[in-house]
Amino acid sequence: MELKAQPAMAGTSVLQRIEGRFGYATDQQHLPGLLHGVILRSRHAHARLLRVDTTRARSMPGVRAVVTAADVPGLNRFGIVVRDQPVLCEDRVRYEGDAIAAVAADTLEQARAALALIDVDYEPLVVVDQAETAEQMAPLHGESNVVARDSLARGDSNAAFARCAVIVEHHYQTPRQMHAFMETEGGVAIPDNNGGVAFRVGCQSGHRDVEQLADILGLKPSQVTVEATPTGGAFGGKDELTIQPVAGILALQTGFPVLIHLDRFESCRVGIKRHPVSVVMTTGCDRQGRILAHRVDALLDTGAYASLGPAVLENFLDHATAPLYRIEAYSVSGRLVYTNNGVSGAFRGFGGNQATFAVESQLDALAGKLKMCPLQLRRINLRTVDEPGSRGQAVRWTAPPTEVLAEAAASPLWLPAAADACGRWLTGTGMAMGAQGNGLGDGLPDSGGGRMSLTAEGRIRLEFGFVDYGQNLVEAITCLVCEALGCAASDVDVVLGNSRGPDSGPTSASRSSVLVQGVLATILPRWQDRVRDQAAALTDLPRDELDSGPGGLFVNGQRVLSYQELAKKGQPEQTMVDASQEFPVAPEGNQPVGRYLQLQIATVARVAVDRLTGRVRVTELHHITAAGRVIYPPGYLGQIEGAAIMGLGMALTEDMPTREGRYLADNLDQYMIPTMHDVPDQRVDILDNTPETDPFPVRGVGELGIEAVVPAICSAIEAATGIRLRHLPVDAGSLLSALCAQEEQRL
Amino acid sequence: MSPVTARRAIRVLRPDSPGEAVRLARQFRAPYTAGGTWLQPAHERDQCWPEKLVALNASWPAFRGLEEGPDGLVVGALTSLSEMARHLLAREYLPPLAVFLNQVAGPGVRALGTVGGNLIVGGDLSALAMALDVRVDVVGHAGERALPLSLWLRERAPDDLLRGFTIPDCRGWRMSLEKLGYRERFSPTRATLACVHDGVRVRLAVSGEGGLLRLAATEAFVHDQAASAPGDFGAVIDRELAAHGWQDPDLRMALRRMTEGLLSEVALGT
Amino acid sequence: MTRPTQPEICTPERVTFKLNGDVISQRVAPATTLLDILRDSGRITSARAGCRIGRCGACTVLLNGEAVPGCLVMAWQLSDCTVQTVEGLTEDPDFVQVRDALATESALQCGYCTPGIAVSLVSGLRQQQSGDAVDLQEAVAGNLCRCTGYGGLKRAIAVLTEASSET
Repeated sequence: MELKAQPAMAGTSVLQRIEGRFGYATDQQHLPGLLHGVILRSRHAHARLLRVDTTRARSMPGVRAVVTAADVPGLNRFGIVVRDQPVLCEDRVRYEGDAIAAVAADTLEQARAALALIDVDYEPLVVVDQAETAEQMAPLHGESNVVARDSLARGDSNAAFARCAVIVEHHYQTPRQMHAFMETEGGVAIPDNNGGVAFRVGCQSGHRDVEQLADILGLKPSQVTVEATPTGGAFGGKDELTIQPVAGILALQTGFPVLIHLDRFESCRVGIKRHPVSVVMTTGCDRQGRILAHRVDALLDTGAYASLGPAVLENFLDHATAPLYRIEAYSVSGRLVYTNNGVSGAFRGFGGNQATFAVESQLDALAGKLKMCPLQLRRINLRTVDEPGSRGQAVRWTAPPTEVLAEAAASPLWLPAAADACGRWLTGTGMAMGAQGNGLGDGLPDSGGGRMSLTAEGRIRLEFGFVDYGQNLVEAITCLVCEALGCAASDVDVVLGNSRGPDSGPTSASRSSVLVQGVLATILPRWQDRVRDQAAALTDLPRDELDSGPGGLFVNGQRVLSYQELAKKGQPEQTMVDASQEFPVAPEGNQPVGRYLQLQIATVARVAVDRLTGRVRVTELHHITAAGRVIYPPGYLGQIEGAAIMGLGMALTEDMPTREGRYLADNLDQYMIPTMHDVPDQRVDILDNTPETDPFPVRGVGELGIEAVVPAICSAIEAATGIRLRHLPVDAGSLLSALCAQEEQRL
Repeated sequence: MSPVTARRAIRVLRPDSPGEAVRLARQFRAPYTAGGTWLQPAHERDQCWPEKLVALNASWPAFRGLEEGPDGLVVGALTSLSEMARHLLAREYLPPLAVFLNQVAGPGVRALGTVGGNLIVGGDLSALAMALDVRVDVVGHAGERALPLSLWLRERAPDDLLRGFTIPDCRGWRMSLEKLGYRERFSPTRATLACVHDGVRVRLAVSGEGGLLRLAATEAFVHDQAASAPGDFGAVIDRELAAHGWQDPDLRMALRRMTEGLLSEVALGT
Repeated sequence: MTRPTQPEICTPERVTFKLNGDVISQRVAPATTLLDILRDSGRITSARAGCRIGRCGACTVLLNGEAVPGCLVMAWQLSDCTVQTVEGLTEDPDFVQVRDALATESALQCGYCTPGIAVSLVSGLRQQQSGDAVDLQEAVAGNLCRCTGYGGLKRAIAVLTEASSET
């Protein structure tokens, strides 16, 4: 069923966004006493710090504080998984974005002028700029440049390969993609009168940040508050701490609020990126196309610090087992290495989409060798809903994978005639599939809470710790509440992102919608009970006949009490209900427990390749999604469309290459994200066979749209040209020279 | 002149006349600024600015607008790119230009950026200007002069001020333009190609990564040798591009094929 | 160029322009960007520094009626100009039409780029009204959006185009 665009919920936040008064973290430029903070970054990708002299900077006009590593009150390290990144470097810098010192001054210009006068002596060290040889180089941390090594295996893959009729082996390379959120990293640290600090920042997890910031600032967690303001895009790129530690130190030193807002040049240089992956995949099948054996050897470059690299590696390996397909035996392994090439970490898809790109390309390669339709090859190998997942774990699908495939096969995008070999544009259609599990994954504590109350003003208030960075979570929560209570959207206030409020866990891993649905299932009836009790006492009407509805409570369709009256005459504070929900994982006894809730997508792409220049235009995208119930249709559509275009960028134009550890692009004139004119029309279909009784009918779709689009585009390019590209982004020059070589062969 | 690191330290000199502008630019070795759309990104990037800028004034006579003169269409250098795109005379003389300009920067930058600035930095318009053999009208420290663009670019003095340029009467000529960028809009050019047929001859020029170049040898081949040795076109253009700074062989291949495409649009109509 | 080592002296000049109907007259260094003037005024939050080099469109404002990136306009160019930002357009019928289309079609997610897009669309609509055949999709070609993939924006533009072809 095609998901049609529907009129959006005209909430006030939408108008505030359009009119530019939504209160992003970096809009807080006029707090009383506000100082501006700037950070000195390394000039070298790898060097020893011999001397950091701040004398001249301190004497500059307007300067309130100049800080270095010696001024970090607590732990001078951060990182969600491994705390290996210094807030301010002590004696060594490991990438050219590393922070060395910082200044707070009355104006930004004064701060910058002072920063320029901090004298640093470096002793350059050998730069580790090749992931392939990083293991043999002097370690950047600890004993070895291998941060993590991981493997997954099932069956005897050597024996299975021996029985294969066809084996394909290819090398794949994916780009170092940048999040390129429109609001660069920023926010304010505000000291309180008791030695604590409140942060108002763009981030993804206020509660988790409190723990790290308390350690860094040498404070108790109760002294640190994080208010996640509306955030101008994140996509994983604001999952780690960004400017918070330095802003906090400067605020404590000066006693004034400090604003730090990285400009785009600094954001490009400092911010984390998507892990570039270099992977060799070997896959074999029998004559009938049944995949028997699959081997993966992957190398992920995490850069100077681990960030979420180990978890990204794990998710990459999970997706590299080809979760949608039944494979007799696999042996999947990967390494995550330190280099001086910036820092890579969380990014929508989280390693999974890199793996799916290679897996789906392997399937097309097998089909090619067998001279079989690639869809038929998939049909033969797709799992059924009754089978366990690729790692033997229990899984819950929302539709049979073969049905998703069948809808992709019926896409109108296959209908246009075969490639026109004479004209300028070679056209072709291709497809790929992908699966994703919601939640943080294996072995990580994963739960989230929420709160519901009636305010003194009679508003129905929902609080969650999640951050609003544009994913329509407010609208989704409002829809679920209205559906359950029959109230109007205008009765509901949704408050997100305050670390003093309920802890919902990080806003990542497509987990918010699942947890919101679970928490609401608990708190809505309890809240309604309390409201009914109070309303019955106030009106003397039978409790069980009172129903909530638009604006208040009803009996037999007649409104008998407004929420405002109830709040005024009753005890609204007594209505407050808290609940927490464990993220759904596989039932007891099952290992691994993660990736229980599975989603699927099939993306069909149509492309046109310019015979004259080799450039590629994606002309149409059609996605078939099986991701549970749609709560808020415009939000669902927007997530799939937006993620798909991010994937389109990754396939065609986006990369942050390095030379000797330095990024070669530093702003949006060099790093090319898609414009409106690079974007095709898209169609999103929904396939939802989730039974009414399913306890987890809602899934998170924030990352689904990027899963299959890249291999689908490559498959379409192959259909158009006969050339399969395995190194991304697509280089028009290479494609052109391959086209020319092909033409010469024909002559 | 010593550079400065902050915008607030930049002095903007505001001469009353083009002659005064040239004098100031010469005295302080200061760059001119008009739209500022090229200058500012370059200096924001390195945070290192010239201490002084010489501001140009679009209300100086003949510096802005389009009008017909005895030798063709006269275009003021300070005409904005979007003004040029909208202008009826531009549409009459240069029919493909309006649509082509959609691919030059973004609409906001086109509203500020000038055609003169675009020519001087070897931007997307320079290939077309080169193929049309425009004559530039220059104010220099030794006085004013008019000369072919190609000549001026070879002997240009740093304080030469471009007042405008004259496009020959090209109504009725066939012309075609193509830009190869990294994406469909708002991309730096990899190669911009202009192909013009003046009724007698084909003229070809290219700008972009390898620099601005009139493809004289390729033009000559198209005219004089195509009939005798038709298969060698690729070798001729490839050699000419490689000899003039176009190092990337894949890009030369793309240019060769784009040229063939444009030639078939423009030349085969004869 | 070698880098200077000493702090530099600033030479402020008076600049007078109209911002959303009010006359602004202040002393400011002549190469200061319009974007910084707007942000520092404390009145404007709709124009944003997304790149500072005119490549993202998040600081798009109307300068004498034309949509331009505020980060590429310098103070010395502003004298006697009229500047309009979203803050000054909320009652404008063209803006209201654009705003309603963007809201109804969910043409935004995080919303950071949206005021710039709205300004570009207002400018495009007005050019259409003055008889230019402006494609609204071309009017926003310089506005980058990272969240939506432009799907909602395309639908909003379809709505606006249909409305303008009816009138």
